[in-house]
Amino acid sequence: MVQEKRILYEHLDVPNINTFDVYRQHEGYTRFEKAIAEYQPDDITKMVMDSGLKGRGGAGFSTGLKWSFVPKDIEPRYLCCNADESEPGTFSNRYVLEKNPHLLIEGILICCYAMGIETTYVYIRGEFTLGKKMLDAALKEAYERGYLGENVHGTGLNINIYTHPGAGAYICGEETGLIESLEGKRGQPRNKPPFPAVEGVFMKPTVVQNVETLCNLPFIVGNGVEWYTQMGPTYGDGRFDPPKPDPNTGTKLYCISGDVNEPGVYELELGLTCTELIEVAGGLRGEEVKAVIPGGSSAPILTHYELDTRLDFTSLTLAKSMLGSGGIIVMNETRNIVDCLLNIMKFYAHESCGQCTPCRWGTPWVRDIVQRIADGDGRQTTITRPKFGVTESGRWGNTGETEEIYEDLDLLESVANNIANVDTMTWNTICVFGIAVSWPAVSYMRKFRPEFEAAIRESKLVTLPVAEATVPPEENYAYQQRFIPKEFSELQETTED
Amino acid sequence: MAFIKLNDLEIEVEDGTNIVEAAKQHGIEVPHYCYHPGLSRPANCRMCLIETYAPPPGAPPGTPAVPGRQLATGCTTSVRSAPPERKLDEKYDAIVQTDSPRVIKAREDILEFLLVHHPLDCPVCDQAGECDLQDFSYRHGHDKSRYIEVKNVPPKKDLGPDVLLYSTRCIVCTRCIRFCDEVSGSGELGLINRGSHDEIDIPRSHEGTPIQLLDNKLAGNVVDICPVGALISKDFLFKSRPWFMEKANSICSGCSVGCNVTVEYKTDGLYRIKPRFHADINQHWMCDDGRLGYHYVNSDDRLQLPLKKIGGEQTTTQWSDALTLITEKLSEVEADDIVVIGSAQGTNEDNYVLQQFAHDVLKTTQLGLFGQQPGEEHKFPQFTIEADKNPNTAGARTILGSANGNVVLEGDTLWEKVAGAKVVYLVSGVPDRALEDTEREALEKVEFLIVQDVLPSEVTELADVVLPGTTFAEKDGTFTNSTGWVQRIRKAIDPPGEAQVDWEITQQLAKQLDGEIDYHFAGEIANAIAENVEGYGDATHQNIGNTGIKLA
Repeated sequence: MVQEKRILYEHLDVPNINTFDVYRQHEGYTRFEKAIAEYQPDDITKMVMDSGLKGRGGAGFSTGLKWSFVPKDIEPRYLCCNADESEPGTFSNRYVLEKNPHLLIEGILICCYAMGIETTYVYIRGEFTLGKKMLDAALKEAYERGYLGENVHGTGLNINIYTHPGAGAYICGEETGLIESLEGKRGQPRNKPPFPAVEGVFMKPTVVQNVETLCNLPFIVGNGVEWYTQMGPTYGDGRFDPPKPDPNTGTKLYCISGDVNEPGVYELELGLTCTELIEVAGGLRGEEVKAVIPGGSSAPILTHYELDTRLDFTSLTLAKSMLGSGGIIVMNETRNIVDCLLNIMKFYAHESCGQCTPCRWGTPWVRDIVQRIADGDGRQTTITRPKFGVTESGRWGNTGETEEIYEDLDLLESVANNIANVDTMTWNTICVFGIAVSWPAVSYMRKFRPEFEAAIRESKLVTLPVAEATVPPEENYAYQQRFIPKEFSELQETTED
Repeated sequence: MAFIKLNDLEIEVEDGTNIVEAAKQHGIEVPHYCYHPGLSRPANCRMCLIETYAPPPGAPPGTPAVPGRQLATGCTTSVRSAPPERKLDEKYDAIVQTDSPRVIKAREDILEFLLVHHPLDCPVCDQAGECDLQDFSYRHGHDKSRYIEVKNVPPKKDLGPDVLLYSTRCIVCTRCIRFCDEVSGSGELGLINRGSHDEIDIPRSHEGTPIQLLDNKLAGNVVDICPVGALISKDFLFKSRPWFMEKANSICSGCSVGCNVTVEYKTDGLYRIKPRFHADINQHWMCDDGRLGYHYVNSDDRLQLPLKKIGGEQTTTQWSDALTLITEKLSEVEADDIVVIGSAQGTNEDNYVLQQFAHDVLKTTQLGLFGQQPGEEHKFPQFTIEADKNPNTAGARTILGSANGNVVLEGDTLWEKVAGAKVVYLVSGVPDRALEDTEREALEKVEFLIVQDVLPSEVTELADVVLPGTTFAEKDGTFTNSTGWVQRIRKAIDPPGEAQVDWEITQQLAKQLDGEIDYHFAGEIANAIAENVEGYGDATHQNIGNTGIKLA
């Protein structure tokens, strides 16, 4: 049985950890003090680079690499903390904000010290009223104790943190959408390049980091790079040996919801399989797993054949899915995939910012098609492939075989791929919202096609048994393409040979 | 200069040129909606997608460039000359494909999306015939729609004095919003709602009553830049199909800026005026005063026949009669008793012939300048409307004074002279000119007042003989704007009734008085101006051309 590995959440349940004094008793701010006392800013950037820390917000981009893109000669530079956690199925940042806001402040302080940043904006999701209240209270305390403001802790650094509530748009979780919203404009993503690291908030270099990423910094600084890199799947030992060396280090806050007995946030080392994760969350509620969404609702779905996929950035990318924000939704055999897709598509059609053409008018279209299928109005055509010969009546004529064409399924796939093509990973949209729409649409439809066909054929939603509903692995393109890490047993066998 | 490979062409373009413009310069169309050369580039329509080439990532130098994974928007892809080690295929600064299968497919897809909520009401849409959506759909789109769901039907909106919004047709390219933010600086327009429910709107209260209307002086430009039929001018609504109108390149006569315009007309009059690009004067824009100020040309009240005053009543007469009456009067009086007044609304040619007539035939040195009264100056971030409401004050002043030691009577000195004169030949051409008391008193004292004008006005009421002249739309000629640009206006429509071009009237008078003025067309006069007027040496008919010429 896999155990939780609590790093970020270690002191989460300590009573009153949100207050400065209690936090201080649990090593609070010592890591920041260590950073200032022992390291130069460049050392910290190097440590973050060496630690292999990847952005926890969704894209999984190397944090150290991102920092290295920031031009050091342009003042001022900004740090923008993305606390607009709005991916369906994700709720890990919220606990940090509500229960342990000082950890975030410490992470921000370390980042500001490393990057020479004086101003930080924390963009908090508007619905997180409690989170904002707790963070504001913690900020007040930190200002009072001299850890924020002018001449922080006697070091001569000036660091200010401002909180800014969002107004409830999903797209403001996208880094440039967030920046636009922060500047007081309509929350619509910008064209990239220039990336925020070069031109971000108020057209100045900006580091945009997720709450969870920043919360990792105190532990990297406090315990060292070596300690940090030991966590996660070890690669190089043959067991985890992806085609391209790509570090997956540290822990991840997995938000497990859906059909499990004990849903919640679990902090685990990266690289556990879906099956292990379901076990951690108290096991499956129901008979068998039908599907797992591995990284928030925009990630392509995994079937029960793919439960051995490791939940880390590289393995999921290789499995044609993504870890995203770590929002894992488990579905058991009672769930209807058409209905699930409809739910998700309603969300995306509502949340499209409407800036660029494909997404503005493509997402509602996809939703409408799925709605039609779910309502039992899906279109199906019978076509006859022409083949000439002697017919039953003894005349010369067309004896071709008839074939059922599910017109709406082809249309659904085509429209979704026109927003963003999931096969070539190209999108015609400004931001990656496009691919966040077509990924679920296409993957659900391809991997659970029998259920979609049944809904059209029988003009109503039909929940098929798991085995029937799922496209077998040999027909599943994504499954064929995926990378399977070797098990220890296999490894031993090969070495023995 | 950047050396780029565009499809199969090897071309050179200025550094910083984007691909849409570079392609346009070489006759290749890259369809686009949100991009407008005068505005910022949000790249939100995704129509100008192109394929750019780059060496594969991590490849050694000298590796042939391959198409990038993602398509790029042509409007935001600018090219500039690269250092030798970064040249593609060892010689190009950029390699771009605007007609590859991927690009063609992407355009089809975007057009399909653009049309899903579009009402396809071309038969009743004003824009049909000059609509980018229509044109690009024909050239780059599908012939069939796969969309069978219900279409959005956002409401039709009245945005301001001259602008209507048919929201259903809107493709949310945000050109109009950016225009109001960047060029007029007034920011009336914005987007409301989100996603597929995006609508352009003005600020409104919760009940829907407008808080601020789109009524700035440049508002009409949003209609021009709207690539579809969403923003419609109330002035032009349902008046004509664009393909039924003829076009003449001209200059706006509303103020001394001298905006380049296209006058669109049919045989029965002017239908609309649209701005024409000029890099140094008006860029892509013009103001609403100029745009909507053409109606006097079409007026039913236009002077069509000469008038003469008999017993205090003005009655129509024939040209021969009117001209004889004038020449008799002119030959009766001494040269010192004659004042000739030119018009700042008239062309350089009108004023040159008038100057020649006064100087060579009448031998008078008393030349004055008349024009519209000054209005207000309006400054916008990227545009200025000048206070001088005459198109040709600078030109008329120089030309009238050219043979006279540059002395032109204006203001109070002019009206003093007029009050003491026996015969005054006043060329007006100013619509709606109200007279001030001093002006009226002076004109009333004149024994014999000849007025050449286009519309009945306070000035013509006082005249003993009225000669019907022409407006800017009815003659060829040149205007000199406030910054010294000499630009050509072109005849669009015929003058109403028996009205004649102003310089031709003057020339007939001269001929009756045995003067030696004999021009046949406006260009001939322009060449004469170039020869005889100081500073106009370069402004020959041939040199002025389409873009005009700036005086040294």
